[in-house]
Amino acid sequence: VTQFVLAGVLGVLFTLGTYLVLRRDVVRVIWGVTIISQSANVYLVTMGGLEGVAPVAAHGHFASRPTDPLVQALVLTAIVIGFGTTALALVLTYRVYEEHGTINTHELGGRQ
Amino acid sequence: VTQLVVAPLLVALVTAILALLARPSDRLQRGVSLLGGVAYLAAVAALFDAVVLPFGEPSRALVYQVSNWPAPFGISLVADALSAFMLGLAAIVSLAALAFSLPYVGRFGQRLSYHPLYHFMLVGVTGSFLTGDLFNLFVWFEVMLMSSYILVLFYSGPEHTRAALYYVVLNLLASAVMLVAIGGIYATTGTLNMADLARRLADPAAYEIALLPTLGLAALLFSVFALKAGIAPFQFWVPQAYRAAPTPVTAVLAGVVKKVGVYAVVRLYFTVFAAATLPRGLGLPGLAVPSGQDATFLAFFGPVLFLMATASILLGGVGAVSRDDVDGVLAYSSIGQVGFIVLPLAVVATVPVTEIRVLGVTAALVYAFNHGLAKSLLFLASGIVGEAVGSGEFDDLGGLAGRAPVLAAAFLIGALALIGVPPLSGFFGKFLVFDAAVRALTGGGAGTGAALALAVALVGAVLTIAYFTRAWNAVFWGPASETVEAALPARWSPRDPSTVGEAIADGGRGAGDSGASRDPSGARDGGAGATPIGAPSRRLAVEVTVVVSLALAIVGFGIGFEGLYAAADAAARAAVDTGGYVDAVAPREVLG
Repeated sequence: VTQFVLAGVLGVLFTLGTYLVLRRDVVRVIWGVTIISQSANVYLVTMGGLEGVAPVAAHGHFASRPTDPLVQALVLTAIVIGFGTTALALVLTYRVYEEHGTINTHELGGRQ
Repeated sequence: VTQLVVAPLLVALVTAILALLARPSDRLQRGVSLLGGVAYLAAVAALFDAVVLPFGEPSRALVYQVSNWPAPFGISLVADALSAFMLGLAAIVSLAALAFSLPYVGRFGQRLSYHPLYHFMLVGVTGSFLTGDLFNLFVWFEVMLMSSYILVLFYSGPEHTRAALYYVVLNLLASAVMLVAIGGIYATTGTLNMADLARRLADPAAYEIALLPTLGLAALLFSVFALKAGIAPFQFWVPQAYRAAPTPVTAVLAGVVKKVGVYAVVRLYFTVFAAATLPRGLGLPGLAVPSGQDATFLAFFGPVLFLMATASILLGGVGAVSRDDVDGVLAYSSIGQVGFIVLPLAVVATVPVTEIRVLGVTAALVYAFNHGLAKSLLFLASGIVGEAVGSGEFDDLGGLAGRAPVLAAAFLIGALALIGVPPLSGFFGKFLVFDAAVRALTGGGAGTGAALALAVALVGAVLTIAYFTRAWNAVFWGPASETVEAALPARWSPRDPSTVGEAIADGGRGAGDSGASRDPSGARDGGAGATPIGAPSRRLAVEVTVVVSLALAIVGFGIGFEGLYAAADAAARAAVDTGGYVDAVAPREVLG
């Protein structure tokens, strides 16, 4: 059941992210990007399998069926990178507002 | 000697950190940065010597297992001929662009963050070329992109913030997609090590791998690399970002960073995914594989790459013909030229003959090398024109050939190299592209696809001639326009400052006070703002020297083409030699 719930949640998250990315408001676009990259992280965690115990060796005996710890290490890296890029994107939004006086992508224009 | 693999990486990283620490003294910072660029070239040369030289012998692969963790548990850094070749291109272009940026980028900008960012971008590029681990590739991409975001945003004007916004959002989405693809590949194959991946894909039954999901995920990953390389339909970010970034950064973005995407396509699809055979009975269109043989994943990507290359060549060519400013022409030309790089890859992807496949990859690499040198030369030359005349619009330009003949000659060499005139290296690049298509047609049974490729390449070549002729006529020939007259009253001479008009003496970009700019200690900081460093005439002399050196390099690689060809050939052989790659990394068997 967990698998189906997670698959559904991931689907909803990606949909929401895509919807926000297609908005005209730059802030919403950035939130959309953030949601998409966070759902990529959730997706990554689920790829390691949902059953099993924490991969920590207790005193004297190893965990018998550990979850794959590698994906969690990957996700940590991805979260840190995502944090940095989100911060940059938000600052950039503010700078765009300062330079153009608008955060509406249609008013920004820019198609050559 | 396996530590040699990390040498370029460490040199770039140490330079970036030292440049950050040296901020209090901008003269020291510039020295550290330039020295770092030279050291990087030396480290790459040493690595190239260890891996590829002497020509004629089979190339070797050096593998550095980080922290001595055996593959696939740790991260492997692999330097084979392909990596060494790409690093060579990166080292040459980045050093030239760095030397150019010293007089070009304003004092304030250089102090602020330019040098550390430049070298961090180089760290990301180097890591991408060297890594043997899929997730690690993602991390290096991010390192490279993070620096490039800020460099595109560097001038922070209205145009720059807008271009950077689109560039950042697009690449963040691409990163998320890449992460999803990598996670999925890990889930289906159980490994992230590229060599281990190739080995497992070659024998999917033994490792219980479902091939169809892997194919889909590989396609997802492919779209990310196509975005990085700026191949159609992912080419739309290119012109804006290139116009926004400072000229030397644009040269590196077009010359090197784009090639990272091309490298990733070659490495992953020709080395790794080529090991996997397509499930039978897939019934995909365009798969012209001789009956009796199993098509590989590579054959699946052949038609896809072909359509993308064709679209790039046509879109880029037509776009470049219709632009009215130098940078615009060059940016659209970049899109078309990447199509030319990818075209031979597409043609040979469906051909199962190793020799033809090697030829196709060689053609792509030689073309990429030539494009890297020539396009960065042209962007830098356009930067000089912009600085000297104060405009890059065709309407404002004209007659520069008489005022700055050396610059004009260098620009001409760059343009001719991209058009493909012998004896410049570009001729051989284009020749090999055609040769690969013809051989795939005659010897590889590639069928109508290769004939179509020839036709597209011809149309693309004609378009290239058209837009460069137009740019050349508008910028360098004809009578001097009023703007040019004001900026360069007479024929420019580096020894005679009076030949430089008011426009340049003002710093070209509007921030005056050349008195302060002659004082490199930086004591008079506040008012100097974006003032470039050094007297205008001397600045121009340095910049023209860099451009001329690149032009000489293009001529040199054309005349001494045998060496370049041998290197590209070794790189291509390494690229298609999946078995050799797996053996070099030697990942241990992991019991499921």
